[in-house]
Amino acid sequence: MARDSSISLEDFEEMLAWLDPDREVAATLYLQLREDLANILKWKGSTDPEGLTDEVFERVARKVHEVRPTYEGDPRLYFRAVANNVAKEDLKKAKTRVPLEGQDLPQQKTTEIDEETVAVEECLQSCLEKLSTENRKLIVAYYVKEKQAKIDNRSELARQLQTSVETLRVRVYRIRKSLRQCIERCLKHKAQEK
Amino acid sequence: MTDALLREFLLGKLNDDECERIENLFLTVSQTKERVLALEQDLIDDFLENTLTEEDRERFLSRYAQTDEQRRQLRITKSIRDWAIAQGRAPQAATAISSSWSRFWTRLRLRPFYIVPIAAAIVIAIVLAIVWLNSRMEQRKHSAVEQELAQLNSPASLRETPPQMISVELKPVTVRSIEPQTELKLRADIGVFELHLPWTKKERYSTYQAELHRVEDDESFMIRNPQAEYEGGNVIRIRLPTHILRRGHYQIHLNGVANDGSLSPAEEYSFAVTG
Repeated sequence: MARDSSISLEDFEEMLAWLDPDREVAATLYLQLREDLANILKWKGSTDPEGLTDEVFERVARKVHEVRPTYEGDPRLYFRAVANNVAKEDLKKAKTRVPLEGQDLPQQKTTEIDEETVAVEECLQSCLEKLSTENRKLIVAYYVKEKQAKIDNRSELARQLQTSVETLRVRVYRIRKSLRQCIERCLKHKAQEK
Repeated sequence: MTDALLREFLLGKLNDDECERIENLFLTVSQTKERVLALEQDLIDDFLENTLTEEDRERFLSRYAQTDEQRRQLRITKSIRDWAIAQGRAPQAATAISSSWSRFWTRLRLRPFYIVPIAAAIVIAIVLAIVWLNSRMEQRKHSAVEQELAQLNSPASLRETPPQMISVELKPVTVRSIEPQTELKLRADIGVFELHLPWTKKERYSTYQAELHRVEDDESFMIRNPQAEYEGGNVIRIRLPTHILRRGHYQIHLNGVANDGSLSPAEEYSFAVTG
């Protein structure tokens, strides 16, 4: 399991133990929490959600010895509160940050994007082969209509599947998530081959 | 929590208290987490479809397209979405048809008392279709024969003498006819019978029409515009290809066609086909 190098091993273990006494469960919770906090920071408009997530874990790790004995409730909510502070500080910094004249943030080159688009397409095709026929049909049916007509289409699709639109949306989300994860793994594999 | 509220949350439009409530549920309740993330996917779709308002689009870009990693995620989502849309467009009609059929059969299974009348209706429809097709084929065959007769009896064709043709004179049938019926024997070496039909009536016409009628089954063909020739009296020649004749009795009704298009009383001729 990866941990930020600026966190001591002792603090890190204490933080994991706070999430759950079972280390296996704690490890899973930790990875999940990283992803969730990055999302929350993204929704708050943070400039670098992944980097700020590291910052959250660092801060909690530094305080865990003090907080843990007296804290009541789900520790994940404490992480959220810290994330909230980190996000506010980041937004404040972003407002005072003066962009350097004529110096843009480093962005991906067009050729890199083109190469990646091709790689994404290739990975998508190989990942689709692993998708079950039922799931493939569902995701296609979900996208049959666009704009206004899609609302009616999804209601009809949910009715046919004898479920709610909300549940249908979650089912499609799970399929897309698995596809996305598969594509990411495939892209990583391709990058390592280079 | 409504979808609309969660959508506002995803675009950073809610106050701190509302955000805290949703974020806490997001972290601790798996159903809420999946619901929020699924709604986020729909929001991304709306962005890719360009259906967000200008303000929402700005908010979206500042949250979902800031970093290279986020933009990469957007490209992945777009590629999945584009593939699904492309797949959906091609077989859409077929899917709609098949789903309509499957719904129909599902309903039918639920109501077995409909099966007998529906099956009967299908059988009747099939029989009617076969009858209609047969009648269409017969009509086509009939009109093809009449075209061939018209060609064979055109003035230009009548001036020529085909090699496998024999000529036969038929006498008009009268009440007092006692002569035996003329027999035309079908043989491989005969391709055409040329019938000479004497016109015994006083009136003369510039053109005539003959109707060939098979007695046994009412089959008949019309030969239009044969003309009279003088062979010691008025004679109308008509030519019949042997392949349209079958064993049995035939009658020919010959009418003169007046200038106003009216038909004269018919002269009748008969013959038997053998062989």
